[in-house]
Amino acid sequence: MEKDKTLWRVAMLIPPLAVFGILVVWPLFSSFYYSITNWNGFSADYRYVGFDNFLQIFHDPLFTRAAVNTVIWMLAAVIVPTGLGLVLALLIDSQVPGASVFKSIFYLPICLSAIVVGQIWVWIYQPDWGLLNTAINLVTGGNSHFAWLAKPGTALYAVIAAWSWQQTGLAMVIFLAGLTAIPPDLIEVCHIEGASSGQRIRQVVLPLLRPATVVVVALGVINSLKGFDILYIMTGGGPFNSSDTLAMHMYNESFKKYHMGYGSAISVVLFLIALAIIFAYFRQLRKVDEIYE
Amino acid sequence: MFKTTRRALMVSVLASGLMAALPVQQVLAGGEVTISHYFTGDLGLDGLKQIFAEFNKETGITVKDSPIGHEDFKTGILVRAAGGNLPDVFSYWAGAKTQFIINSKSLHPIDDMWKAADLDAIVAKPIADGATLYNGHRYLIPFGYHYAGIFYNKKILQKAGITEMPKTWDEFKAMCDKLKAAGVTPIALGSKNRWPAQFWFDYLLLRTAGPEYRAKLMAGTASYTDPEVAQAMELWKQLLEAGDFTKTPNAYDWTDAADQVQRGEAAMTLMGTWITGYWNTNKFTDADYDFFEFPTVKEGVPRAAVGPVDGLVIAANAKNMEGAEKLLAFMISKPDVQAKWASIQGALSANEKVNPKTYTPVMQHALDVVKHAPAFAFNYDLATPPAVSEVGLSMFSQFLDNPGEVQSMLDQTQTAAAAAFKQ
Repeated sequence: MEKDKTLWRVAMLIPPLAVFGILVVWPLFSSFYYSITNWNGFSADYRYVGFDNFLQIFHDPLFTRAAVNTVIWMLAAVIVPTGLGLVLALLIDSQVPGASVFKSIFYLPICLSAIVVGQIWVWIYQPDWGLLNTAINLVTGGNSHFAWLAKPGTALYAVIAAWSWQQTGLAMVIFLAGLTAIPPDLIEVCHIEGASSGQRIRQVVLPLLRPATVVVVALGVINSLKGFDILYIMTGGGPFNSSDTLAMHMYNESFKKYHMGYGSAISVVLFLIALAIIFAYFRQLRKVDEIYE
Repeated sequence: MFKTTRRALMVSVLASGLMAALPVQQVLAGGEVTISHYFTGDLGLDGLKQIFAEFNKETGITVKDSPIGHEDFKTGILVRAAGGNLPDVFSYWAGAKTQFIINSKSLHPIDDMWKAADLDAIVAKPIADGATLYNGHRYLIPFGYHYAGIFYNKKILQKAGITEMPKTWDEFKAMCDKLKAAGVTPIALGSKNRWPAQFWFDYLLLRTAGPEYRAKLMAGTASYTDPEVAQAMELWKQLLEAGDFTKTPNAYDWTDAADQVQRGEAAMTLMGTWITGYWNTNKFTDADYDFFEFPTVKEGVPRAAVGPVDGLVIAANAKNMEGAEKLLAFMISKPDVQAKWASIQGALSANEKVNPKTYTPVMQHALDVVKHAPAFAFNYDLATPPAVSEVGLSMFSQFLDNPGEVQSMLDQTQTAAAAAFKQ
């Protein structure tokens, strides 16, 4: 009987494992393999080049710029939605009028695909009739035609704003779930003891929101590492590579310059960075579990 | 009432088997050719559907079509090649891009088909020599080609009192000054996707250093730090600094620039003849626009024409090689098919049998210019290998944003281009 059960379990696991193997594990190992070749993506002829592609990374100024941008992207794409999500969650939890409507509105962007969000923000940033310049001109009475996505100084940050707009809703919902787990008695005690709102949030709510914060930050990091599509649709890494992240640089090298071997080497580096972050995340999760056990 | 006997079951199985076999038989009679291309505009798709239906009627071969948008096609076809999943036939740009995939042994040579269909007697010689021959073999049929000229809004030029089109660089600059005095930005440029800027570099280099030097630069035997390149960039810089271009070109697409000219916010734009297809569908007809050739900059330098050639190629591992060759021969050798396609795309046909009267007056003018040009050069991103053109196109965008730092940009471009040529 027990043997039958085991057989069934194995049989049920085979289809998802096969899909995972074909779509994730096989391409992953293929990338490792191609990263030590000079394959151009088209040719059947390519040769082993050892670690040349990895050494090239150290002489590639575009890689350095993309790495710096990736750090900026990850920090901003985590800090901004986490901060804004927390503020919104606290406001909605304080039972402001129309709280449930605001909750739905703020959550809505997360239901849209990154491509749709990117396109909406491309229109918002349009220099001549975009919402942003129109609003600025209305407020200041000026005549700004600033091209937010076409200037190297603002392109990356303009995409980060769009990304944060979408991700804030997710952070807000997780924080709201965390807030409901805080015992109401504890908040009542704060009131009875005469704690101010600031003291209550700083000394009671925020420490108790730590598990939710870990989840929000971890999801933020993982999502930001995957954040390629919105950048692709909004700037494509431009103007002139100024908003390239490592994922975008990998794409450009592989599919525009036909340097599939070098592009694979960048993807391996990106994979190792992601692995290190996820490893650190699981360690942190274990620590949080230990605190609450 | 009805009993399912074993015999009845067998009969029904046999009957359904026969019925199922019928369409299979039909498909086998003609076969199927798979094709992928970047002609995804409404008109282009409809036109191709009609052409494929005619091909099916004539040969019995079905064409299975999978179109992809122009920009996505550039990477989409590579992904299919990487997966060993190329269609039998696909559209591609003649020049360095085609050379690149030929060097990768991904294409099937069509010398025999070329001879059998007597394409030497059909395809215009300069296009046949420049666009179809690679490593001594024919690989591509030119499905249509374009010419890049300076397209202008007739009314705007008339309003500014311009009746004679400029023949020399000085006349061109004087024309720009006149337009600015009339309150119109002379030149619209939408370089958001980078490539629209390349025509300025192409023509300025061709008109100052000549086609031979330009061919050397494209092949990596000349340097971006040469005085010839610096001179071309300097002329471009002078126009930018004189305020002759629309502001922040990198924020706009080429269609935005075309719209600016149509609306009269700018007077002209340097673009390929596909702009005529775009304008015609926007109810801006050739009564409203025309073009003139890029002016002479240096006396004695041959006035080459610039443009891309859209081709069709066959994958080296095509499943239906015979059908694919038949399709290519059909596409190029039928003057009515070529004329229809040229009119839809705003392109010129490489088939010399196409009656020029089927073109609009503007396109007839373009055909005349190309016929009399001493050389036909592919535009930058089709003339130099993809890894190098990526570097150059980014440099053009950077230059448009900050023309003051052109020298350091050229130094960096040379370093990156030299590395790309080595790989």
